Amino acid sequence: MTRREILKNMYKVVVAVGASSFLSFDDLLAMDRGEITKPNLVWLHGTSCSGCSTSFLNIEGVSVVDILTEYTNVIFHPDISLATGHQVTDLLERANEYKDSIFILEGSIPIAMPHACMMGDKPMTYWVEKLAKNASVCIAAGTCASFGGITDMDGMITGPKTLADFISYKGINKPVINLPNCPMKPEQLLYVLFYYLKTKSLPELDKEKRPIRFFSKTIHERCTRHDYFTRKKFAKKIGDEGCLYYLGCQGIVTKNDCPINGHNDNTNICIKAGHPCIGCADKYFPRKIMLHTYDDKRPNERFKIIS
Amino acid sequence: MSKRVVIDPLTRIEGHLKFETTFSKDGVVKDAKCSADMYRGIEKALIGYDAKVAQQVTQRVCGVCPYAQAEASALALENAMGLKLNKNGYLLRNLVVGAYRLQDYILHFYILSALDFIDITAITKYKGNDSALVGLKKWVEKELKSGKIFPATPFLPRYETAYTNNTNLNITAVKHYLDAIPMMAEIHKMVAIFGGKSPHPVAIEAGGITTRPTVDALVKYETLLKRTKRFIKDFYVPDVKAVAKDYKEYFNMGKGTGDFLNFDFMPDENGENFLFVGGSTIDGKFEALKDTQIVESQKYSYYKDDKKDYAPLEQNSIRPLNWYEFEKEHKKDNGKYSWSKAPRYRDKVVEVGPVAQVINTYKSGHNPAFNKLIDETNAELGINLNDYNSVMGRHLCRALISLVVVERLENDLNKVVPGELGFIERDVPRNATGFGFTEASRGALAHWIETDENGLIKNYEMIVPTTWNISPKDSIDRAGAVEQMLIGTKVADENNPIELARIVRSTDPCIACSVH
Repeated sequence: MTRREILKNMYKVVVAVGASSFLSFDDLLAMDRGEITKPNLVWLHGTSCSGCSTSFLNIEGVSVVDILTEYTNVIFHPDISLATGHQVTDLLERANEYKDSIFILEGSIPIAMPHACMMGDKPMTYWVEKLAKNASVCIAAGTCASFGGITDMDGMITGPKTLADFISYKGINKPVINLPNCPMKPEQLLYVLFYYLKTKSLPELDKEKRPIRFFSKTIHERCTRHDYFTRKKFAKKIGDEGCLYYLGCQGIVTKNDCPINGHNDNTNICIKAGHPCIGCADKYFPRKIMLHTYDDKRPNERFKIIS
Repeated sequence: MSKRVVIDPLTRIEGHLKFETTFSKDGVVKDAKCSADMYRGIEKALIGYDAKVAQQVTQRVCGVCPYAQAEASALALENAMGLKLNKNGYLLRNLVVGAYRLQDYILHFYILSALDFIDITAITKYKGNDSALVGLKKWVEKELKSGKIFPATPFLPRYETAYTNNTNLNITAVKHYLDAIPMMAEIHKMVAIFGGKSPHPVAIEAGGITTRPTVDALVKYETLLKRTKRFIKDFYVPDVKAVAKDYKEYFNMGKGTGDFLNFDFMPDENGENFLFVGGSTIDGKFEALKDTQIVESQKYSYYKDDKKDYAPLEQNSIRPLNWYEFEKEHKKDNGKYSWSKAPRYRDKVVEVGPVAQVINTYKSGHNPAFNKLIDETNAELGINLNDYNSVMGRHLCRALISLVVVERLENDLNKVVPGELGFIERDVPRNATGFGFTEASRGALAHWIETDENGLIKNYEMIVPTTWNISPKDSIDRAGAVEQMLIGTKVADENNPIELARIVRSTDPCIACSVH
């Protein structure tokens, strides 16, 4: 393969994530020639599970490390960087020497119990504050960083804050974008990175700071089983044809692009896998009940869908 | 005066891990403390949630091996329901968890570990014309000349040490490092075909797998499985063996306690005859599992109730230290130092993970083909079964397990009856208790569930592989498994303690799992 062929392959990713309307192949060639300065990128884990990092590696056809090193300057990623121990903290302490910097946080930030997430003997609150202050844009990767997710379920005592809440609580005025979904969809993050690369700004956001491009409609509105819903054909058990509403489906209140772009390069989505949507991209995830039988009569406030 | 070396954070693992070692004058580790530095509190937060929520929430303790948490949670609920799956249920579940296991091992070797052994800067010596490698070579050269404060991040800085000077191995492995990432994405597709998505497959519910296996889906899975098998046979296994040959001394480093625990993994279509047999090897002797003999100590963990050891489900709340108490513990000489608890099996410090799985299955004699594979590998590399208890042994075991799992997947795929749902639906059980044991990528995993009269969770408990391995000292001050691996290690250069990093990474720690 020639260099041009490799770039062509990479351009397929640009097309696949929907960024070809603003990022042309010529732009890519120009970046390869070093004519466009690369933004710096720092990725940190708050109280997270690394699911979003793992998901990010799942970009179709091309090694995401190639894309990252070609089009950004990755200062630090906890699962990719070779730096270990004090090398990491030395590097992050000097992060403010990097201008034009993108800060990505996966997981939430426990503020009631700062000691619940430590790195280099300092609480994560210290690192997030430092890096967010220096960043041009902050990206909340996944539901925990965007809305709290499972780290903020009822019964949690660590007092988790989302990235957006944390930086406004610290009085830091930086643009934040939320990419909820558990885990974050790699295509959505790449789209945002490419958008930033080209325009030095964020795509249009809704009131929850999510990109409108992906989060304007509920799963239900574009569901492959929507036709069943309009015909009032409802599944009574797992494996039935029909709308999964009465088995606990939360597609009706959850906004995301799953029915269009799917997961794992559009290999599948939860509803096609016969499972009701569990609302993993939603603000109220995880709900008290996600999957129940058709005739579940338990009189309990917990089972109501909150919109 | 002994010297203290702290590694914080240890990168290229899951989560936040710090470890602290003290050295004797001649550079040998005398004492080691592993601190899991993150706490969420998911088990007890589940109380009051519907029992079926446990599967979706507990798999989110870990984004690297969610499949295993989901399976353990589903098994626990099935145990409480008294439910046995149908044939497609067992087979499809194997197809989801088996594929995920392969992805996880490839991720661990190439992305998380290989560059501790392979010299990525050797790419500058590359003379061939593979354009991916030429591109990387140019990039590294440009970065090194760039005058940046930290050139060539994320590949530098690193611990500078005598990496292998085998240029051929260095270049091949770097190439496969880059190839491994799209391969992992492909394997995640296999998981998604029946699991719904990956990471965090939704479809592993109590009762089986919710996805109906269409012919299309089975064929797609088969195509991807063929590619995966080729990658494992042609790249992964040979690369691990090549590294093992170049770093033979690592078959003698990072030896654990020598006591091993694993649980059953991958049943046949009747839910019996597991591919890997659970059990324990204590003082060299293999025995079947005795599940009642697990307790957890909290003496050195940041929790208040530390006067006694607790059995699973014995506690229904958890009381973490506050910031002030946390700081106070750090000032003490012998204070608490980890969010991880210290589980012990039959009063022993045991190692869990790929080596436990290999040694226990081998000793059980249950799978002759597997024993033959191990014997052949030992002859090829000039090692014996005792050498598996080491850094290189752990890497090698993962590669060998992959070979066996991939073959099992081919076998199971052919047995799936197309179109037939592998799921039996049941209401949540009321006032019931259940347990689910399985083997995750990182080792023995167990969940326990208790439900109330409405089918809501009354209590939940998880004892997770990394909790076993990374555990702090217990109530009688015995060091945890990884701590014991570190003690006695000679470190050549205290400023670049690569030996220690290699030992800890060989166990593939997952802190999000271990503390949950």
